Amino acid sequence: MKEFSPLRSRRAVFFTWRKQVGLEAITSSRPRPRVMGWAMILLSFGVLHVETAMGQETEAYFRQNCMSCHTVGGGRLVGPDLKNVSKRKDQEWLIEFVTNPKGLIDAGDAYALAMKDAARGVIMPKIPGLDKAKAAALLELISRESVLEKSQFAGLHITDEPFDASDIARGRDIFTGSLPLENGGASCLSCHHVTDIGLFGGGKLGPDLTRVYERMLGRKNLASWLLSPATATMRPVFQAKPLTSDEIEGLVAYLEDVAKAGGAEDATPSLMLFLLGLAGAVLGLMLVDSIWSYRFRAVRRPLVGEIV
Amino acid sequence: MIDVRSQISMVFHLDKCIGCHTCSVACKNVWTDRKGTEYMWWNNVETKPGTGFPTKWEDQDKYRGGWELNSNGDPVLKSTSRARIIANIFHNPHMPSMDDYYEPWTYEYDNLFNAPEGADQPTARPISMVTGEYMDIKAGPNWDDDLGGSKLYAANDPNLEGLTPEQRMQLQAIERLVFFYFPRICNHCLNPACVASCPSGALYKRGEDGIVLVDQKRCRAWRSCISACPYKKVYFNWFTGKSEKCILCFPRLETGQAPACFHSCVGRIRYLGVLLYDASRIEEVAARKDSELIEAHRSMILDPFDPEIMAEAQRSGIHESVIESAQKSPVYKMVKEWKIALPPHIEYRTLPMLFYVPPLSPVMSRKEDGTIDQVSTDLFHSLDDSRVPLAYLAQLFGAGNQAPIRFALEKLKAIRLYRRALTVGDVTEEAAAKLLQRAECSKEEADAIYRLTTLCTFDDRFVIPPMHREEAIEMLQDPQERKQSAGFGFLSGPRRG
Repeated sequence: MKEFSPLRSRRAVFFTWRKQVGLEAITSSRPRPRVMGWAMILLSFGVLHVETAMGQETEAYFRQNCMSCHTVGGGRLVGPDLKNVSKRKDQEWLIEFVTNPKGLIDAGDAYALAMKDAARGVIMPKIPGLDKAKAAALLELISRESVLEKSQFAGLHITDEPFDASDIARGRDIFTGSLPLENGGASCLSCHHVTDIGLFGGGKLGPDLTRVYERMLGRKNLASWLLSPATATMRPVFQAKPLTSDEIEGLVAYLEDVAKAGGAEDATPSLMLFLLGLAGAVLGLMLVDSIWSYRFRAVRRPLVGEIV
Repeated sequence: MIDVRSQISMVFHLDKCIGCHTCSVACKNVWTDRKGTEYMWWNNVETKPGTGFPTKWEDQDKYRGGWELNSNGDPVLKSTSRARIIANIFHNPHMPSMDDYYEPWTYEYDNLFNAPEGADQPTARPISMVTGEYMDIKAGPNWDDDLGGSKLYAANDPNLEGLTPEQRMQLQAIERLVFFYFPRICNHCLNPACVASCPSGALYKRGEDGIVLVDQKRCRAWRSCISACPYKKVYFNWFTGKSEKCILCFPRLETGQAPACFHSCVGRIRYLGVLLYDASRIEEVAARKDSELIEAHRSMILDPFDPEIMAEAQRSGIHESVIESAQKSPVYKMVKEWKIALPPHIEYRTLPMLFYVPPLSPVMSRKEDGTIDQVSTDLFHSLDDSRVPLAYLAQLFGAGNQAPIRFALEKLKAIRLYRRALTVGDVTEEAAAKLLQRAECSKEEADAIYRLTTLCTFDDRFVIPPMHREEAIEMLQDPQERKQSAGFGFLSGPRRG
């Protein structure tokens, strides 16, 4: 049975009518607007694709996608140090793992499972745009960097000494935005909360960072995360306006201090905020009511004793 | 430098009003029986003391109509200003709600004919003309007619302000109650607050006759006019989203007929005629002290017999025939020559051009020891014993000032006694002459007032000037404008948007 579509049937009628009145020749010679629109959209996607492929060189790609968990010669972060990685496993295995990490783990590959344990259960995420060709290019880059004495991907060196109070205070200022970020990025407070901040707290877009120092397993990981934040929200923001190493040091000092102070991540601030907002709204309405207490309400009803 | 203009002006003689509402009904049937206008009464008749329509319209602390003097002594609108019009752009405060007017209703008459047979008589329940639902009637446009609910309504009349508590008590005491009627239409003011307040410039005062009108095409429903008019005589049509008001039946005037309410008046209380006035003095007069307002307002009215004024009027484009009409104007005589007609609430400073002859309210009988005594011997005793206290009339027609009321009433009283001396003979002519003299009224004037107030014909009461639309239109547009392009098509009524 033929499916009934009012739209299609109306169009069919239109086309028949068009033929009958001889409009076909006039209208069909022009490309239809909808087709044109689609063509434009597809075209713009195409241009974008070519542009990203060309612009995103392998080094930049590594910096943006890999460096939050890996170094080349800088020691282990969440993921292993990639120095001389091609000597530990063959090219084929590496490419397969990198393009689909979970696949190998699920398949029960012994080496992959061992890596998972080494990362305390963290599984490498599937990176968008990381195909086999890209993986090969990355491996080649890593090999090149491995032979250098100090790779550009060695990561940030963070001191092991305890931080002093001035570092922590500076970190707090950076977090809250009292000290603007040098490259003009948005300060942490815009999206993140820390128990230390006070009554109104920080933003609620990102996670609570009170215990992030522990979650990230210490200074080194935290610092390299901050070097190139890898989440979908933070990457576009900090890609163009990265944190400086000084700022990272301060923030690490501060977040370490906050975590050690032992604050708990909880929902109290948002409840407080709600209650404060409610109280503010009520007070505001009362203020408006008192300012316009003489406003016109009604004349007849109060006169005859009806409630207004 | 004077700026002579002509104004169609009116006098209502309150002693003659019997409160029949014929004027209101005539107006309603001619102009406000359309959808959205059901609640409007361009002409209404109020019982005084009473709260009127809309409820307590005279309470400008509530409605904030009219003008007030600012710190420089200049008149400014009470309801709004340039800054406030922006601040209140989405909500115009101080407007009477439909409840302060009344929810208009009709009755379910069909039910009287079509109800199925039952044990009871069918009834016609009231139906709201706004919602179409059954409703409980809570108020009407003359809800306090003839002192109905006077404990509530008459007792809350804003004009009682000038009275002592004793006088107030008297007005409410049984068998001492007194009331008179107060018919109201738009005053077609010289300094109209509605015109001044309109952000769209939709309201205007016609150059040739001073009639204040709302341009239905320009009105943008700001409703500033509604709060600005202290007499609450501009109404908002909720259906078309435009303001409407009394147009003084200009289509009738232009064809030489009296306005519908004037024409239909049973008591023949209404007078209409042209006044010449000096428009250059409007601002100065509107800024006068309350006590000077009446005299200043009257002094703006120019003598149409003065050759200089006549020449000046012609220079201002007033047609000779209009000047002639102004010379015959009954309004000129009553307001300017005889000073027996007074403007309502001139303290609102809109300089109203509708004047009222205040009512006499002599004590007709006394009740003593249960017997009622006619007191015809002392019918026109001292005005201070009038049943309507002078202080009350002073609030209404004298901006709190009793002197002009006293003058007018003294004259009216003297004329009655003078006529009584001539026709009944129980007052000596000498006594009557003495009273006339004291009221600053000559015998000729007394005769003229007597004739105009009692024996007046249609043409005595309504001296309608030739409107000369063909000339008036040239002030605004080229009369050839629509040549070769008019005469066929559709007229469109006002619509929202």
